[in-house]
Parts: sequence; structure tokens; C-alpha cells
Amino acid sequence: MKKRKLIAAALAAAMAVSVTACGGGGGNAEGGSGEKGSGSGVAFTIFNSKSEIQDQFEELAKEYSEAKGVDVEVYMSQDTVAAHMATKYSSNDPYTLAMVDAKDIYSLGPEHGIDLSDQDWVKNTNYAISVDDKVLGFPVCIEARGLMYNAEAIEAVTGTEFKPEDYATTDAFKGLLEQLVAGGMATPTGVMKEDWSLGAHFLCEVYEEQEDVEGFITALHGGSADLANNAKWNSLMDTFDLLKQYNFAASSPVAAEREVLEQQLAEGNIAFMFGGNWDWSLIKDFEPSEKLGMMPVPQNTDDGTNNKLVGGGSKYFFIDSSDATSDEQRQAAKDFLNWLVSDPEGNAFLTEKCALVPAFSNVEATGLDPLSLSVKAYADGGNLVPNYDYMPDDHYAKCGASFQEYLADSIDRAGLAGKIEEYWKATAPVEH
Amino acid sequence: MNTNTMSYKTKQFLMFAGLTTAAFFAVVIVPFIYGLYLTFTSWDGVSKSKPFVGLANYASAFADVDYWQALGRTFIYAVIAVILVNVVAFLLAFLVTSGVKGQNFFRAGFFVPNLIGGIVLGYVWKFVFNRALVALGTSLSIGALSTSWLATTNGAMLCMIIVSVWQYAGYMMLIYVAGFMSVSADVLEAAMIDGCTGVQTIVHISVPLMVSSFVQCLFLTVTRCFMVYDVNLSLTKGEPFGSSVMAAMHVYNQAFTYKNYGTGQAEALILFIVCAVVGVLQVYIGKKAEVSA
Repeated sequence: MKKRKLIAAALAAAMAVSVTACGGGGGNAEGGSGEKGSGSGVAFTIFNSKSEIQDQFEELAKEYSEAKGVDVEVYMSQDTVAAHMATKYSSNDPYTLAMVDAKDIYSLGPEHGIDLSDQDWVKNTNYAISVDDKVLGFPVCIEARGLMYNAEAIEAVTGTEFKPEDYATTDAFKGLLEQLVAGGMATPTGVMKEDWSLGAHFLCEVYEEQEDVEGFITALHGGSADLANNAKWNSLMDTFDLLKQYNFAASSPVAAEREVLEQQLAEGNIAFMFGGNWDWSLIKDFEPSEKLGMMPVPQNTDDGTNNKLVGGGSKYFFIDSSDATSDEQRQAAKDFLNWLVSDPEGNAFLTEKCALVPAFSNVEATGLDPLSLSVKAYADGGNLVPNYDYMPDDHYAKCGASFQEYLADSIDRAGLAGKIEEYWKATAPVEH
Repeated sequence: MNTNTMSYKTKQFLMFAGLTTAAFFAVVIVPFIYGLYLTFTSWDGVSKSKPFVGLANYASAFADVDYWQALGRTFIYAVIAVILVNVVAFLLAFLVTSGVKGQNFFRAGFFVPNLIGGIVLGYVWKFVFNRALVALGTSLSIGALSTSWLATTNGAMLCMIIVSVWQYAGYMMLIYVAGFMSVSADVLEAAMIDGCTGVQTIVHISVPLMVSSFVQCLFLTVTRCFMVYDVNLSLTKGEPFGSSVMAAMHVYNQAFTYKNYGTGQAEALILFIVCAVVGVLQVYIGKKAEVSA
């Protein structure tokens, strides 16, 4: 009995100690950050939504904090960006500096962002986002979509140097695919089945390459656009049919796994896949050939779009305007953005450590990965068809699902066009 | 000391249940009421203003064809999965209480899947369905296995059901095991002396005496199946063509991906009511069937 009492007392004591320890720890931590806030410099937070550069960002935060005497903390979330921002704003705990997607700048910026028009970097970029004449979004990098190719694999079959510009038309591209098959590459293409790839990346090119994008979207909403007889729709879908026909995963296309396809491309078992320079983050794990690159989606057209990639600024920083953020924090965040653009170390962080295609004309980038080098070449030459940033939020999921049905041969091209037209008619226009 | 006064009872209640009640109130009741309030606004999830729109969200929830399809799909999935989980769990429980060699090892083994989180489970099974089975099917040229089941509409549902059964059967088995153990040996012995066969003993003696196990298991499986999200997300992600989107996933997409927070919240409330009605009804009916020896 006595023993038991002793044990009980010991346990109680242990718990009491641990509780006070927790309390003490919490107090210390608060004290610590308070000291920093009032002492040498300010503390501010950064939200990073590019998971592949989180390690680099954390390292940077440490170095930047030491060099500049400000306390930078970097956070990341696996949640969708909009959902995560919603949580932070509803708990009144916003980030000082948040990296979000273009559409989030339009939805969050006017209410939660500050005007950055007076910043030095504004004159060095064509990709900043402005709403009502206020610059709200700082472009983190350039990303573009197109056809990824593995030149080494192509040349191994054809025996001649691969020049992407020779295959700008669907007809020429078809000839090359047939030559590759004849030469022993059974399935020269890959098609990702992800709804964002089909719905948000490929299908959107149909809208973005129209002569009058806004007009076309309005016509789709109004039900007057005839997608099935639209020249752009048909020229892009003709090429998609080729990609689908020669698809590595043709036996079960909607079960294709992205990692497998990227590996096939990296190793040269397939030669072409529609994607973007962000695919490098997966491809690099498979010891890829250095002769990878990106080219425009071939089309039988003479409007010039088959010589351009589609893309532009991707991921934007905005600075929080709410009362939860102090003016000193806002200034520190502005300084940080300027440092990224105008300081050699900031430049090196963007282009070398994170391997991003810079969105600023004064930033040099020579050490990029092969896909990004292609994107940079097209961007520098002014050969990017701009992104359309006002897509309805459910477009990629719903039209992507219909596109998957097309990929799985459950519906034909006319059926897909009909479903997409129906979607637009049933959807309210995005205000902008 | 008078133990029948109001103040004494209140004190007693606060002392024993005060903390938990406060916690329950803070993390369940308050958010629930706040969520209810949000269904009457057209809030987008981020904006500072929450404009009041009356019943518009409920109108759009009722008009949302995709939601009702998802709910119908969830219903079918839940019915099949609940039956299979409980049948399998009951059989397993019978096996591991019948005195086979190493039954404790088997009990632990069958329970293990339940210790793996739904997300991980989904990815593991995705590999099995997409790669392992396909490789097996191709090398042995079995037609049904040579393409991934996850690529077809019905196949994806079947995969969901298989994984759910695998995940929950072990857990429910434990409850059934407890049920089997709670039937006292003298009742079983009496049945044997009276000339019951093995099957008769189970059907007429064991099962009626362990109805409470059935009630618990059914309640747990019904609610879990209706609320399924993690396995859905990692195994099928709603694909192919959005044909395996369950109710909870649709609610999440509606609220956070499509940014119709109010509509999503209203749909979540409808899902809650459906679950509550099914769950309570089932417990009520089950309780009535309970007997004691």
C-alpha cells in the first residue's frame, strides 16, 4: 500500500514538473521572439508555395537573417494555396509575405495586398500583376507549357540532329513519330492523365491561343462559341490525337502514373510529352539526358502560335496589408523583394539555388536546367503566349474529367467539345 | 450532507465532466454553430465580408447534380462496404476465438492494417492495383488483371471497397472478439448438452448475446464509410473522370477548390444529417434487439 502511494506521488510530481516545464518553455520562446522584435531588427514571415524549393528557402532564411539582422521565418503547406490562405486569414494570422498563384493575387490582392508600384523592380519586369493600376504581385519566376522532348533519344533513332523548329506543323510532327516507330521506338509519346495537365494546361491553350481570348471566353459563357468547328480547337486536338495514338500508356491511359512517364522521357524510352519546365523537379531524379528541351505544340496553323510556348509569370509574392502586420515588417518584406532582384546574392538564390527562370530583365541566368533554358530562350525572344488568369476555379477539375473521358475513348472529339461548351454555359463568368 | 440539492449536483457535474464539456463545447458545438451560420452567407473563405444570402446556399446545394451523384455513390459504396466489413470481421473473429493455433498472432496480424493511416494505405494499394496486379496479370496473361482496375469507373469503386474492407475488418474483428468472449461458457455448455450443433450455437446463442457488438460495429462502419475521405484522396483522387468522388471529397472541393464556401458548408450539413439519421436509426433498432442471458 505504501509503495503504491509512493508511486502515485512520484507520478503526480512528474506530471507537475512536466506541466511547468511546458509553461516555462512557452514563456521563453515568446520572450525570445519579443526580444528580437524590439532589438536588432524586425521579424517577418514568408509563405512558400513551391514545395520543391522549401529546403533552399529555409537555408536562405537563416543566411538572410544573419546578414541583415532581421528574423525571417519560412513556412510551407501541402494544402492548396487558396485554402491555406483562407485558413490564415480567417484566424487573423497572415504571412507578411506570401507566395501564391496568379489567380490568388486577383482574389486576395485588392483586399489584403499593398501597392508596390513605387518599387525599383517594377520597371525590370513585364510579368508583375496589377489590379486597378496598383502593382500587387511580384513575379517569382517564369514557367511555360509546351512539348518536352528528349533530343538524344530522337537522334539515336533518326541519326540526324534534332531541330525542334523543323517540326512546327502537325504533319511534320506526324512524319517524325512514324519515323521513330519505324526505327524501333514503339511508343514515342507520353500523355499525363492528371486533370490539371489535361484541363488546366493543354485545354487552356485552346483559349489562350485564340486571337481574341476575352471575346472567346465571353462567347463560351454565352453559348455562341462553336468549339467543334473552331480552328484552334481542331489544330490542337489533331496534335493531341497523335500524342494519344503513340502514347506509352495507351493500353490504360487513365491509369498512367506521372512519375513513370517522366522516367520514360528522362531515359529516352519515349521522346515527347506535353508538360512544362516544372516537370524538371521530377525528371531530374532519373539521371536524364542533358539534351532535353521544350518546343511549342506543333499545329497545322499559320498564326504563329506554333512557334511559341504558352506561359508567363508563375507564383507571385504579395505583402499583407492587414493590421496584423506592422509597417516595419512590410518594409522588411519590401527590402527582401528588392534584394532578390537587385543583389547578386539574391539573383543567385533565384537562378542558381532554386533554378528558376527569372522574370526580371536585369537578372542573368545561365546555369538553368535544360527545360528552363528552353523556356528562357522563348521568353527572351518574346515568344510566349500569355497565360489567361481568369479561369473559373472548377474549370480544370470538371473539364479535366471530361478530357480524361476523351483520353480513355469513352467520348469522341465532338462529345468532348459538347461537354466543354455545356460547362461554360452553366458557369458564371469570373469578374475581373 | 445533502446530496440531492441542485448546487451539489452541479458541483459534482463540473468536477467530473466540466473540463471535457468545456472542451467539447469549444471544439465541436461552437464550430458547428458557426458553420451553420456560414451556410447563410456567400463567404468565399478569405474575404473579410460575409454577405448574408439567406437560403441561397441550400438552393444551390440541392441543385448541385454532382453532389447528389457523389452522395448516391457514397451510399452504394457504404452499403456494400459495411456488409462486407462486418461479414469478414465476424468470420475472422470466429476464427480467432475458436482456439486455432497461434490465434493471438492472427488477432494482431488482422488488426495491423488499421494502424496504417488511410493516406498511406491508399498509396500502398494504388501501387498494388496499378503495378503489382497488372504485372501479375500481364505475365500470366489473365485478361481481367492486365489493365489497372483504377482506370475504370466500376473498377475504381471496387478498389475503394476492397481497401476499406481490408482496413476496417481487423478493427471490427476486435469488437466481435470481445463479443464472443463475453458469452459465458456455461451458457454455451448448456447449449451443447441440449444437443446444439456448432452452427446452431452461434446463430441461436452467441449472436443474440452479442448484439451490442453488432450495434457498435455497424455504427462505426456506417459513419466511417459515409465520411470516407483519406483513402478516397490517395487511392483514386476521384478519378477516372471524377467518377469516384465521394460526398466528403465533393464537399471539400466545393468549399476550398471551387471557393464556394457557403455551398460546401451547406452540403456538409446535409451529409451530416444523412449520417446522423442513418446512424441513430441503426443504433435505435439495434438496441431493441439486445437481449441478456
